[in-house]
Amino acid sequence: MSESLSQSGACNQPSACNQPSACKQPSASRDTLLKVSELTHQVNLGSDTLTILQGVNFEIKRGESVAIVGRSGSGKTTLLGLMAGLDSPSQGRIELDGEAISELDEDQRARLRAHRVGFVFQSFQLLPALSALENVMLPLELAGHQAPAEQARDLLHRVGLGERLLHTPRQLSGGEQQRVAIARAFASNPSVLFADEPTGNLDTHTGRTISELLMALNQEQGTTLILVTHDDQLASRCQRRFAIEAGRVQEFEGAL
Amino acid sequence: MHSRDKLASARRDLRERDVRVVILALVVAVATVATIGLFAALLQKTLVTSASAFLAADRQLEAEHGRPIPQAWWQEASERDIRTAHMVRFSTMVFGDAGFQLVSVKAVDDHYPLRGEIEMQPDASADREFVGQGPRRGEVWLNPRLMRLLALAVGDSLEVGNLSLTVSGLLLREPDGGFSMASLAPRIMMHADDVAATGVIQEGSRVEYVALFAGDESALEGYHQWLRPQLEPGHEWESVRDGETLSRSLQRAERFLLLGGSLAVVLAAVAVAVASREYALGQRDTVALLKTLGMTGPGIGRLYLRRLLLWGSAGCLGGLLVALPVYWAMAEVLEQVLARPIDSTLELRGLVPALVTALVSLFAFAYPPVRRLQKVPAMWVLRSEPGEASRRAWSDMLLAGGAIAVLVWLYAQEVSLVMALLAGLTMLLAVLALVAWGLILVLRRVAGGATAWRLALVALYRHRRSTLSQISVFAMTIMLASTLLLVRTSLLSDWQNQLPEQAPNHFLINIAPSDVAGVAAFWSERGYPLEALYPMVRGRLTELNDQSVRQAVSKDREVRELNRELNLTWMARLPEDNQIVAGRWFDDGARVGVSVEAQLAERLGLRVGDRLGFTVGSEVITEPVTSIRTVQWDSMKPNFYMAFPPDSELRRLPATWMTSFHLPSERKSALNEFAVRYPTVSVLEVDHIIERIQAIVRQVTQAVEAILALILAAALVVMAAVVSATLRDRQREGALLRTLGGRQQLLVRSTMLEFALLGFIAGVLGVLAAEAAVWALQQRMFEGDVQWHWGVILPIPLVSSMLLAVFGRWQLAPVLNVSPMLLLRRLE
Repeated sequence: MSESLSQSGACNQPSACNQPSACKQPSASRDTLLKVSELTHQVNLGSDTLTILQGVNFEIKRGESVAIVGRSGSGKTTLLGLMAGLDSPSQGRIELDGEAISELDEDQRARLRAHRVGFVFQSFQLLPALSALENVMLPLELAGHQAPAEQARDLLHRVGLGERLLHTPRQLSGGEQQRVAIARAFASNPSVLFADEPTGNLDTHTGRTISELLMALNQEQGTTLILVTHDDQLASRCQRRFAIEAGRVQEFEGAL
Repeated sequence: MHSRDKLASARRDLRERDVRVVILALVVAVATVATIGLFAALLQKTLVTSASAFLAADRQLEAEHGRPIPQAWWQEASERDIRTAHMVRFSTMVFGDAGFQLVSVKAVDDHYPLRGEIEMQPDASADREFVGQGPRRGEVWLNPRLMRLLALAVGDSLEVGNLSLTVSGLLLREPDGGFSMASLAPRIMMHADDVAATGVIQEGSRVEYVALFAGDESALEGYHQWLRPQLEPGHEWESVRDGETLSRSLQRAERFLLLGGSLAVVLAAVAVAVASREYALGQRDTVALLKTLGMTGPGIGRLYLRRLLLWGSAGCLGGLLVALPVYWAMAEVLEQVLARPIDSTLELRGLVPALVTALVSLFAFAYPPVRRLQKVPAMWVLRSEPGEASRRAWSDMLLAGGAIAVLVWLYAQEVSLVMALLAGLTMLLAVLALVAWGLILVLRRVAGGATAWRLALVALYRHRRSTLSQISVFAMTIMLASTLLLVRTSLLSDWQNQLPEQAPNHFLINIAPSDVAGVAAFWSERGYPLEALYPMVRGRLTELNDQSVRQAVSKDREVRELNRELNLTWMARLPEDNQIVAGRWFDDGARVGVSVEAQLAERLGLRVGDRLGFTVGSEVITEPVTSIRTVQWDSMKPNFYMAFPPDSELRRLPATWMTSFHLPSERKSALNEFAVRYPTVSVLEVDHIIERIQAIVRQVTQAVEAILALILAAALVVMAAVVSATLRDRQREGALLRTLGGRQQLLVRSTMLEFALLGFIAGVLGVLAAEAAVWALQQRMFEGDVQWHWGVILPIPLVSSMLLAVFGRWQLAPVLNVSPMLLLRRLE
């Protein structure tokens, strides 16, 4: 899993897209996987209302890899969650794979997540009581897969954990746990994978292995990859990079 | 550590959920056991007091041979701080304005009654009064019927022997009114000091001297020990417990309390065990961390020991704070039920079992895993090693079983109870192991799928370790609670059967054969038909196998039935509540044989085939024993020691008839008319005895229900504690499943199904184990019939599965109603 599939520097989508008028794109074209329009998100903190995102617009095409960077607390994870349909925005519209997820209810979004969305988290989020295999089987079972065990075993082989199927998370190292999480994220063959600081809890070397794995699966399966990261190295390997600052999203080229 | 630091560290502990669960379990444990302990002590005291009223004392000594109780015996009693009273009973003729009448006299001193009260009317038109003393010297109280028969009124005088006494009241009820057919004549009550002046008692008259004793239980027992060697055959020592009417009900109530308390002890131990184990296992990370910070094994051991002690004290204190108000509230309710003040001072002894239970279970269950924490390698911080946990399971289980057995034994001091409970629990665990094995075998084959059923089954298999431990605890809890429920049900129905609403409360005795038809018609015309009529011939048992019975029965057996006349009867059919234990009942047309009551047969050492000779007047009838039968003495129906076949020789002898029937209290005036029409028939009124027994049964029933409610509440808390032990994992899983695309409804359904299945399995196993335990208990403790209780077996698994489904839903609630985003943030 360590062969280089690096795409670093291969960002071929220029244009900053903060104003929809300045960025003419066909709405919901076949190539567009995700379209965010006039997205604003606020949270209530007691009497105060905190605006986290304001007037965000952008589109992401199928198969692209996108990094979202920004300072801690700038709203990266919130944006990721909204795009993945984990929460609904205060205002604006989000279309994922042709469906306006901002207009779906929680159960409809859940069904969408079950079939088209994969997740990787900074702290892995594996269930401690379950073996690696059972952890990977979870989304397959939720999606009603016919042979979840075979599929999960296959995926674990592909991330290099074929020998550790029955180990529980406590018996695995951080890198191994994240690989289980990645296998789980790809299990339902999603059209988009959201990763929240996937290398944040790992050392540089392990982090690199994980990012290579993500990139490789992105390439092999054509899965769109959207990740939030502090890791410059990981960000630089994505085709596109967005920076969040003061609730606004700005696309940029080159290093931060 | 300085004490301030210690306090801070204790407060830090309290923020941990596991710690709070341990303390909660301790609080519940102490509260339940203490409440039941206190209440049981109170109830026992109350019951004994109210039952003591039947004797008008705690103990009675009757001298039936006509000689007064020796002075030295009175002396000894007062030296032992025992209160005494004396009375004299005899029969005589009295003379009033309208003629004379045979009466039974009870002459009492100023201290009578030591327990209970006399109910009287100072005048026929006055209100009823409850008084603590009999008539003064020179006065006499009369039974109202006698008053009418003699046409006397208050203020008139009555001649008793040579003495003229002033009628100063109507005697309605004596506390020790009793239920003996020896005293058939109407009662008068006078002062004991007047007896000599009447001149009625002379050498050879039939007279009974009775000593009444009341005082501390241990003093009374000690006195009895001292007295026993000096008692003669004509003496009889009676305690409440020997009384046939109430003893069985009392004994069963006490046993029920004992059982309830023992179950509370076991439940409490289980609750503390589950909670503290969970805590200990959860501490591994912390211990490993402390080790990396340089703390030594023994230091860690001391640290946790100190914490356990701290929580033990906190839990005990909290438990008492709950138990005491509950106890006082229950005492209040009891007081209202009884409609009389009760002594609800705290019996501190009642608290001991609670505290011992809490501390023993805390240390027996929490300390072993905590002690083992010392051995957790510091390396655990970095990575845990597989396969560490199970090695000690056996020794832990042995320790747990031993601790529970010792606790129950300490509490109940009843080996059969401990054995029945332990056998039930062991069987339960064995069956559980089997079921678990089968379950895993089946569940393993279930592949995942997006239906709630499959997800539920898969989850059961995935979490097999916690599934098994939860099923075990639920099944145990259900077993304990349903054991009590089953015992209570059979106890109550037993009491109900014993004294139904329409139980006969009046006896008619001495009915001449020519009057039988008329008497029956008199009462059936008024809507109170008679129960079965029995002939009665009074005779003495004088010969056993052609020997004098005095010689045949060895001297050390004191059989009072030999000193008095027995009621002999004949009957064709065995009464419904009698049971043949040896031999067989008379065939149709049988002419020979006698059926003997089982207890008397045992005291006399009789067997089927022995020949008994009865002297009736000048005749002797000799018959072989053909059967031995048990009799329900507390059934308030005519019961006979000796029954002959209808065509036996007894039939030739002059007999009178007796019967019983139910007469409501508001129709008692009919008795006056009856007394006028059939003056020779004696009426024995036992309605007040029955009322009192029913009141006691009602009060015991209330207590039984209260204790059942307490146990059920404790069971619920235990189950909630067990469910909440996995709360964190469950919520984490729910959040993740939702993120991964699990729909809310699917999650709800699968979780509720999973818990419902758990509850169902545990319910079935628990209720079956309870049946087994009840079977064992019935055999030894409650002597009831064994049967399947479908009314309990069927609903309990359903109820437990519904209950657990609700628990599951409740557990999941925080995960369902917020956005998965928030959940993830929380999980991070």
